[in-house]
Amino acid sequence: MSGRVPTRRELLGAGAAGTAGLLTLPAAATAAISTNGTATSGTSEAPISETQRLQRLVGLELLLLYCYRYVLGSSILDSRTRRRLSPFADHERAHIAALETHLKARGGVAPSGPDSTKTANRYLANRNVAGRLGQLKGSQDALNLLLRLEQVTIGAYFVALIEVDDTKLISLVCQIMANEAQHDAVIGLSMPKGTPARAVPYGLVQGLQ
Amino acid sequence: MVTEDGASSRRALLTGTGTALAGGALVLVGCGAVSSDKKTVKKTPVALSHQDIAILERALDLERRTVNAYLACIPLLTRPQRKAFRQFLKEELQHTGELASLITAGGGTPPPRADSYAIGHPTDGPGALAVIHSLEALQISSYLDWIPRLSPGAVRAAVASVLTVDSQHLAMCRVMQGQDPVPGPFVTGAA
Repeated sequence: MSGRVPTRRELLGAGAAGTAGLLTLPAAATAAISTNGTATSGTSEAPISETQRLQRLVGLELLLLYCYRYVLGSSILDSRTRRRLSPFADHERAHIAALETHLKARGGVAPSGPDSTKTANRYLANRNVAGRLGQLKGSQDALNLLLRLEQVTIGAYFVALIEVDDTKLISLVCQIMANEAQHDAVIGLSMPKGTPARAVPYGLVQGLQ
Repeated sequence: MVTEDGASSRRALLTGTGTALAGGALVLVGCGAVSSDKKTVKKTPVALSHQDIAILERALDLERRTVNAYLACIPLLTRPQRKAFRQFLKEELQHTGELASLITAGGGTPPPRADSYAIGHPTDGPGALAVIHSLEALQISSYLDWIPRLSPGAVRAAVASVLTVDSQHLAMCRVMQGQDPVPGPFVTGAA
């Protein structure tokens, strides 16, 4: 379920970074700290506003909703798995509605979601999500695609938490991020040989960025 | 074996925790659960407020209580359930290590463990599942209250990475109880 396994050298390098007596953050986190004025940042990525952050999150949720609707509307999943995952599309709709409320309050305009599988596949490629709608060869392919996209979505909320300051929005982001993590676990449970232990294999979940 | 320092093996220590204490430093690297391929890191000192430390201490106390509940409840469960909950216990221990590291790195001292924790008196499997269910739900509702009050965004995110796993534990607990694992679109910690 995870991405590439880091090499021993990378792991040791990351561990060694911690001995410098400094707080070491992902680049996105450093950008957020710079935005808050509490520390400087050397990152080249410009910080984005809460409105832009919300637009990105809504766009991602729309892609997730499109993929759930596509997979659930096909006959690719067995009936038990389809039944288990079918409420998730409504969950994504509720996330979109809640985020759009915050977005509109800031004067932002919600992005439009994918209008075709071709567009959705382009968005998936942009997010480095393996698998393409229309080319899924079985249940496992579909579950892998949904799992990976859920993890990308969790990662987007993780970054949002670093950068957002509005406490109500932070609360909402936490509630949605936790819900996406539950989706992730249930998809893992639905995999061949899926068990509760295998569905929750990590002690800390921060998604894919 | 996993200790409260979050260490199970060298590899697990380096990959399993997004945050680890080393040499008095707070270190957030990569993405613990599902690692990012991006290895770009920056070094930035961040201080925690007294309120941040107080919140992390309360979170640590609650995680320790949950660890004790797992230890008490696991023997009452069926074999497949025990296998899952042993895994979840390791993850709860990792949470205590994570929080203790954040407290230390922020200039505080993790409080000592209590002599005992109130976890109820389960006598059978369903009772044990109910105890764990209620404690996971309590952790979630507490984190949802605490996270917006944490000031550094990076610490908010680090604590949220604990919340997400507790929400997964609750979902799997619900499966074992024959309930809907994800009953709504927003995780609130309501039982």
